[in-house]
Amino acid sequence: MDATLLTQYALAGLVIGAIYCLMAVGITFIYSVMRMINWAMGEFYMIGGYVQYLLIADWLGPDRWYLALPLAIAGVGALGMVVQRVLLRPMFAGGIERLDEYATIVTISLTVLFRNLAVVIFGPYQFSPRDYAPPVQLGPLPVNGSRFVAFLGAAALLGLFAWVVRRTWFGLAIRSVAQNRVGALCAGIDLSRIDMLAFGIGVALAGAAGALLAPVFLVYPQSGALSTVKGFEIIVIGGLGSLGGSIVGGLLLGLVESLGSVLISPAFRDVYGFGLLVLILALRPTGLWGERAREA
Amino acid sequence: MRKWIVAAAVAVIATGAAGAGSGWGAAPPVVLGVLTPLSPPGDPAAGQLIVQGAQLGEAYINGVMGGVFGPKTSCPQPATPVRIAVEDDSGTPEKSVAGFRRLVTEEHAVGVFGAFHSSAMLAAAPLADELGVPYISTQASAADITAKHFAAVFRTHPVDPDRAAAWLGFIQAQNWHKIALLAENTDYGIGLAEATKSLIAQRKLAMTLDAVIFDRTSADLTPQLLKIKAEKPDIVLNVGVGTPAYLIIKQAHDIGLFPQTPMLASYDFPVRPEEYWKNLGPTGVWLAFISYFHPRMALTALGTWASVEYAKRFHSTAVYSNLNSFGDAVILAEAMNQACSRDPKRIIAQLERGRFDTWIGTGATFPRAAGVRWHQWSPPLVILQYTRPDETYDQAPILYPPAMKTGAFEPAH
Repeated sequence: MDATLLTQYALAGLVIGAIYCLMAVGITFIYSVMRMINWAMGEFYMIGGYVQYLLIADWLGPDRWYLALPLAIAGVGALGMVVQRVLLRPMFAGGIERLDEYATIVTISLTVLFRNLAVVIFGPYQFSPRDYAPPVQLGPLPVNGSRFVAFLGAAALLGLFAWVVRRTWFGLAIRSVAQNRVGALCAGIDLSRIDMLAFGIGVALAGAAGALLAPVFLVYPQSGALSTVKGFEIIVIGGLGSLGGSIVGGLLLGLVESLGSVLISPAFRDVYGFGLLVLILALRPTGLWGERAREA
Repeated sequence: MRKWIVAAAVAVIATGAAGAGSGWGAAPPVVLGVLTPLSPPGDPAAGQLIVQGAQLGEAYINGVMGGVFGPKTSCPQPATPVRIAVEDDSGTPEKSVAGFRRLVTEEHAVGVFGAFHSSAMLAAAPLADELGVPYISTQASAADITAKHFAAVFRTHPVDPDRAAAWLGFIQAQNWHKIALLAENTDYGIGLAEATKSLIAQRKLAMTLDAVIFDRTSADLTPQLLKIKAEKPDIVLNVGVGTPAYLIIKQAHDIGLFPQTPMLASYDFPVRPEEYWKNLGPTGVWLAFISYFHPRMALTALGTWASVEYAKRFHSTAVYSNLNSFGDAVILAEAMNQACSRDPKRIIAQLERGRFDTWIGTGATFPRAAGVRWHQWSPPLVILQYTRPDETYDQAPILYPPAMKTGAFEPAH
């Protein structure tokens, strides 16, 4: 196999890996702050795709796709905040004993609800907004314009997210809540507000992935299922709660899938990711950047 | 109070009169089950078309035929209406099995049709044998469906070797030699890849086939397509069903593989213009695809009725999924009339020995033939090509077979 072809596969893997990262960062961010797994992340991804499709196909037109993207992200983020406020806040109000079970039941129920709502509203069909950017040559790899926009968008959003978390007062508050909820409360941080914002931002990242990928992959009621699986694979590879680990895990997964598909067999593409996951768990049970924790 | 009693009595009499006027006997309606994909990961658009066809079949049987055992038969039973019961199999084996069981045990269906995904149909086929209820494949084409010689399973759709013969004939006519085939890892995808490979060997054709199998749930097929592009094939055969079929076209276009290299799709999803052009836009131009119907084909009286009625009811041109589903409903009704029975086992026996009118031909039979031809009747196949955006399939030229050819293959320009 020549070097050009290998570079093409590697680049294709990195492009898709960058987009996987958005989903994984959203999951790990919500987990870090709220200590809960949001099983409905794929459905927020799916909603982001539908909103993007509707905005481009029916309301704004394909020429104003750059407006559709922030609107779709904001829309999914707002929906996430409503969900957190109405359905998840009782977790922290003191009346619920088994927080993990509560969060699991609520978010899995949301999965069923959102998928069925999508079928009721849009029907079981697949949709795709038209490509809104011309093809790009990325080294030896010809890349679809929308996919390149998705890649750049994912990189920009991850950069913005990292900046907010590391360089702003809001980010500092979030990090303090992630480190110690009681300590943060004692320091005067409004935990319920931070939870709501963190959940909104986390699902907005999934919505962003869905919106960015709407012209690349198709949008349909179950389109989020695969991305949820990938997202969880990545956070286990990178280490639960580690943002850096999510990014490295996403890129690694994209690379392994792409190279495995062509060097071994494309029929088992999804198996390579699980193979990597099993290998990492065997060597480092906490994931690449995960931390050991002790529970009383 | 008295007024209410009088009104109720009038309503009861009116209802009775209406019932008498329809000529139906006291027997409950005969239920025909439709088991088809109405949600992903199956191809729900195909399922919707199949359901529409089944509804047309119901209207034809009850309206034109006067129900089963109607006045045009010599059956002693009173004329009985049919009713369609629909189940969603999502194109998945587990839902297909559950749906088939529900149709037979809860709805008391005497025959089932509407299958679109081969894996789903193959999963329910043993159950059809176990329950002794005829199960007709409307659009599932894996060879095993009939090659496994299930007693209760029939098919009115082209089988893998028919499809392989059609596209290899077309490829040979174009003087192409290097074929790449991208197939999903389902019974349909793998079966069609195998059938194509074995036909090349059997006929000793001067062709090479590079078959790449992918996981049906994969959304990104770029690595596989890059591999195919590097091989520089003369043609790419697209063996995806539903979402994967679209992803192959989109992503092949993204990397500059299609339309520079011709692509031939294995089934007729492009005949649904609303979905096809909405999803692909100009990317969809230059695709060649197998279709089982083109309005230039001569229809039987049955087919003409369905075509005209479909246009009236749904304000659109009937496509193969509509017509074949319609045809399957009518075949089951014809078998019941010929056997003068609604007993599923007698329907199976009659399907094996009878001759039936279909939408595209007369005298269709389902003999206990050898191999894949067991209980098999195949309608004709054509290969069409879209050469401009928003074209409808009735405007598309027929490239193959030579007897029906209305245009030559056009490379992208």
